[in-house]
Amino acid sequence: MDTSAGGSEPREAPKEAEKPNIEPLRLPTVEEMRGQDIWNNCAVRSVVSGIMGGGLGLFMGLLFGALDNPLMQEQMTARQQFIYTAKQMGRRSWSSAKTFAFMGLIFSAAECVVEKARAKHDTTNTVVAGCVTGGALSAKGGPKAACAGCAGFAAFSVVIEKFLDRHG
Amino acid sequence: MAAKNGPTDIEKEQVFGMAEKEMEYRVDLFNRLTKICFDKCIDKRYKESELNMGENSCIDRCVSKYWQVTNLIGQLLGSNRPPL
Repeated sequence: MDTSAGGSEPREAPKEAEKPNIEPLRLPTVEEMRGQDIWNNCAVRSVVSGIMGGGLGLFMGLLFGALDNPLMQEQMTARQQFIYTAKQMGRRSWSSAKTFAFMGLIFSAAECVVEKARAKHDTTNTVVAGCVTGGALSAKGGPKAACAGCAGFAAFSVVIEKFLDRHG
Repeated sequence: MAAKNGPTDIEKEQVFGMAEKEMEYRVDLFNRLTKICFDKCIDKRYKESELNMGENSCIDRCVSKYWQVTNLIGQLLGSNRPPL
């Protein structure tokens, strides 16, 4: 008949019932779903990857173009050497940007299509996409070169993916 | 007036009971659908917090098929009872 013991228990029971303050289930709105779906679109993804590849190619081309020495180094003045190097950098960076943009576009498009069709997130997607990209890049050299490019680029992309996944 | 109020109350209770059962059925359907598609489609290693594209298309297909199966079985059970 202790009133404190009898009085404390019913006070604790409503406290326990109050604790789990569960919010009602909030399903995403149509705008939110559309906003998330943009990144699921294969065309958008591959274009963005192509642009990023182009940027990367631009930087790499600038770097390697700057390291290139002119042929007739002794017979040119410093100003001529500078102009030659600048032109070389521009040319190399533009062609390198095109190559990398093409590579990024093809790789991303292939991976997106394969992953959507398989409905699985695997390394098989990366292998197939790498093979398609390598084959497309070295298709001008004939079927043997295309096979070699396919295998090489597939192996390269698997290595890069494993490396990125380890720290991601 | 008194005769009209009686059945209306009972009708209200019936309608409310049916609506409650329907709500329970729908909630159960949602929970079951979510559990089944989650278990089937999503890799348990949880490498990242966003759904990737493979999981997204898997969930789309899972929900679509589950919904079609539910509708089909509902029709089969509802239209005529086949003698077992």
